[in-house]
Amino acid sequence: MADLASNEVVALAGILGDLDYYQLLHLEPDARTSDIKRAFHASSRTFHPDGNRHRDVDVRKAIDQISKRITEAYSVLRNPRRRDAYDRHLAEGGSGVRMDLAEADAIASRQQTEARHGRTPLGRQYSSLAAENLAKGQFAAAVRNLQTALTFEPDSAFFKEQLEEARKKLDAEES
Amino acid sequence: MSEIAIGIDLGTSNSCVAVRAGESAKVLPNTYGENTTASVVFFQESGAIAVGNAARANIIHDPVRTVSSAKRLIGRFYRSAEVKKARAICAYEIVEGEGQNVEVQIGEERFSLPEISAMVLREMKSIAEAQIDEPVTKAVITVPAYFNDNQRQATKDAGRIAGLEVLRILNEPTAAALAYGFGRGLNQRVAVWDLGGGTFDISVLEIGGDVFEVLATCGDTFLGGDDFDDRLIDLLADEFLKRHKISLRNDPYALEKLKVAAEGAKRALSVDSEVEIRIPDVITGPDGQTHSIERTLTSSEYAKLVSDLLQRTFTVCDSALSQAGMVARDLDGVILVGGPTRLPLIREAVASYFQQEPKADVDPDEVVAMGAAIHAASLLNPESEAYLLDVTPLSLRVGVAGGLAETIIERNTPVPIEQTRRFTTFQDYQDSVDIRVYQGESREAREGELLGQFTFSGFERARRGEVDIDITFEINADGIVKVKAQDRATGQQAETRISLSAGLSENKLEQIIDDSRADRISSDNNEPGESARDLNAIVPAPEHRERRAVVEPMIPAPEAAAAGDNAVAPAPGEQMTFDDEPDTDEIEIPLDTTPFDDELVPEPDDGELDAFDGGLPELEPNRPALQPAADQQDSDPDHIGLKDVLFEESGGDLSSTDTEVES
Repeated sequence: MADLASNEVVALAGILGDLDYYQLLHLEPDARTSDIKRAFHASSRTFHPDGNRHRDVDVRKAIDQISKRITEAYSVLRNPRRRDAYDRHLAEGGSGVRMDLAEADAIASRQQTEARHGRTPLGRQYSSLAAENLAKGQFAAAVRNLQTALTFEPDSAFFKEQLEEARKKLDAEES
Repeated sequence: MSEIAIGIDLGTSNSCVAVRAGESAKVLPNTYGENTTASVVFFQESGAIAVGNAARANIIHDPVRTVSSAKRLIGRFYRSAEVKKARAICAYEIVEGEGQNVEVQIGEERFSLPEISAMVLREMKSIAEAQIDEPVTKAVITVPAYFNDNQRQATKDAGRIAGLEVLRILNEPTAAALAYGFGRGLNQRVAVWDLGGGTFDISVLEIGGDVFEVLATCGDTFLGGDDFDDRLIDLLADEFLKRHKISLRNDPYALEKLKVAAEGAKRALSVDSEVEIRIPDVITGPDGQTHSIERTLTSSEYAKLVSDLLQRTFTVCDSALSQAGMVARDLDGVILVGGPTRLPLIREAVASYFQQEPKADVDPDEVVAMGAAIHAASLLNPESEAYLLDVTPLSLRVGVAGGLAETIIERNTPVPIEQTRRFTTFQDYQDSVDIRVYQGESREAREGELLGQFTFSGFERARRGEVDIDITFEINADGIVKVKAQDRATGQQAETRISLSAGLSENKLEQIIDDSRADRISSDNNEPGESARDLNAIVPAPEHRERRAVVEPMIPAPEAAAAGDNAVAPAPGEQMTFDDEPDTDEIEIPLDTTPFDDELVPEPDDGELDAFDGGLPELEPNRPALQPAADQQDSDPDHIGLKDVLFEESGGDLSSTDTEVES
C-alpha cells in the first residue's frame, strides 16, 4: 500500500473533529456490517502505525491520532447497538461527531430498558399495571391493560409479546 | 546499524528465536542444534550464570540456585495468588522487592524478574548472533495475549536490559496466526488454541489477505502445561506418602526430581500410550534407607488426571467464540500452539470441541517465534506486508467513589485506541484527586489488577461537581496503557501526562543495565567476553520509557503530597510519596494543604437512565495526543517514576487489589 502524502495525512488529522465515523471510513450511512469490516481493513492498510514507522515524526503523530479514531469508529459501527445509539446522536445533531464507547453502551442499554418498559409515560403506566396483574394471576385485566398500553406505543414488540402471553394464560384458565 | 530484527518467543518453559527468511521465517537453533532453549537460569556458586538446556540439567542438583518458569512471576505483585502458588512449588527463594515487586534471592544476591527474563533473552540473542554472524539489536518479543499491562511492561523492560530494542510486544496467538497465514492470501476465520507452559490463550482471528484481525481473545494466566505436570507430581507424591509415610514435598531435591519425571512422562505420552516412570533414590528416609519410585502410567490415567484442566480451557473458548459472535463450526481452521498440544489426548479434546481436526502443518513449539520474526522484519520494512489488528484482552477501568471501577475501554476493543472520560470532584473545594487505573472484568475495584495511580491537582477549587476533569486513556499497539488527565477550565496548563505501570523504576532499570550482571552468562554461543562487549555497545537509547510515570507539569511538591498523606483517611496506604525533588521549572507548587478527598465521581450524565441530555463531552478537533514536549520530558531521567511515588509506603492495602482476574 502506497503511503498517503505527508501533507494529506497531517491535514486529515487536522479535520478529524469534523468527520463522523462514516465519513472517516468512507462509508454510506446504510453500510452493511461486511462493508464496515472491509473499510476498517482498508483504512488500516493506510493508517496502521506499523506501516508508517519510517515516516517523519509529525506524520507519525498524525497517523497515531487517525488510527486511534479509526479503531474507535470501527468499534462503534460494527456493534449494532452502539451504531444505533451513534446514528441517533448524529440525527439529533448532538455535540461532536464522535462518541465514547462506554457512552454508546450506556445509551444502548437505556434504549433496551425503554424497549422493555415503554417510552411514553402512559405506556409505562399501563404496562406496569399489566405486569402486576400477571404476577397476581389477573389475566383478563392484564390483557386489557396491555391493549391500552399498545394504543400509546403500537410498535412495542415487548408489549405485544406480553399481551400474547397474557392471552395464552387467560385461554388456559378458561378452558 | 544492523537492520536485522529477530522474533523471540519468550516461553514459560522454553524459548525460541527465529529470523525472517523469504516468505517465511527460520528458527535459529542453539549450538546443540536444538530449536528451543529452556527458559532456565542457573546461578553457579562461582558467580557464573548459565542459561538454557544446560541450566535445566542443574535443577535436580542445585534447585535453589536454578530459576525456572520466571514468566509466571514477571510483572506480578508479591502478594498475588500466583506468586503464592509459585512459592509453594519453586525450590528457589522468591522474596518481596521494593514496590511489592517479586525478586529472586540467590545466595547473597537478589534479582528482579525482568533481569532474570533478560538473561534468557540475552541467550536467545546470542543464539541468533552466532547463527546470523551479525550483531542483533532489534526484536519483537511475544507475550500471552492475556498478559496485563504490568506483565507486558516488565517484559519490555527485560528486552531493554538484554540490550534489545523491543520493536513490538506481540501477542503469541496473533504471532502464530501470522506465521500460519502470511503471504498465502487467505480469507479464513481461525482459532489459535495456545497452551504454553504457564498460560492458556485462545484467540479468534479473521485473516483477510494481508490483514490479521483479532476478533476476540480470552485466556487464563493461571493455567499451563506446568499445571498438567503438577497433577502428576501430586499423584506421585500422594502415592509415595501413603506407601512410605514420607513427604516428598518438603524436600526440594525430591520435588525437582518429581518435576523432571512428570515433564518427561508428559513428553513420552505425546508419542506412546504408556510410560514407565522411574525415579531411583528419590529420597533418603529418616532411617537412612533410600527409596525409589517405579510406576506405569497410561495415557488414559493421565487423561483423567488433567480432564478438568482441559475443560477449563474450553470454558474460556466458549467465551472467546461468543465475544467474536461465532460458533465453532464458523471456523475455517484451528491452530495449536505450545508443547503440551503434542499430547494426543489434547489434540483429540480440541478436535472434538471445535468439530474439526487442528492444522497439522504448524509446529506448536516454533510457530510463535516464526510469526514474531515475520512481524519484526515487516516492521523494519517501509512497505508493510502484513497488518496486525489486535485487541486489548482486559477491560480498562478507572476507580470512582464507592470502591468501584468504571469501564473506559471494554475488553476485546481493537487497539490502538484512545478514550476520554469526564469526571468531577466529589467534595466541595477538593483540590486534588487520586486517579487509579485498573484492568479486569469486575466492577469492584479491589478485584481488578491495579496498574497504577497518580494524584492530579492544580485545578481551581470549586464546589463539588463544578470541576471538570477529562481523563484520557490510551492503549497502544503493544497493549500498553497510558493515561493523562486534563482540567477543562485551565486546559493545557494543568495537564498531567503519565504512563502507568508498577515494576522497575527508571533508576532501578538503569542501575540494572549498568550492573550488567547478565555479562556473567557463560554462553556457548559466543566467545567469553564477547557478549559483555556487545551488551555495553548496544544498549538502545532510552527512548522507551512509557512505563516510567512522569507527572507534569503540575506535580504536587513533597510538602503538599505529605499533607495529602495525612489527609486521605478513606484510603490509607494509597497515597503518593515523593523521594525526589521534581526537576522541572514549570511546576506550580500548590501550597494549599487543605485535606483532599481522593475520590472521583463520574459526571452525572454518565450511564444514568435519564441523564443523557447532558450530551457528549465537548471535544476539540485535533485533541493533543503525543506532544513533542511531553515526549522529551518522558525521557528526562530526573522526573519522578510512578512506581517511586506509588507503592513504597503503601502498606498492606494492595494485597486486596492485586488479585489476578480469572476469566
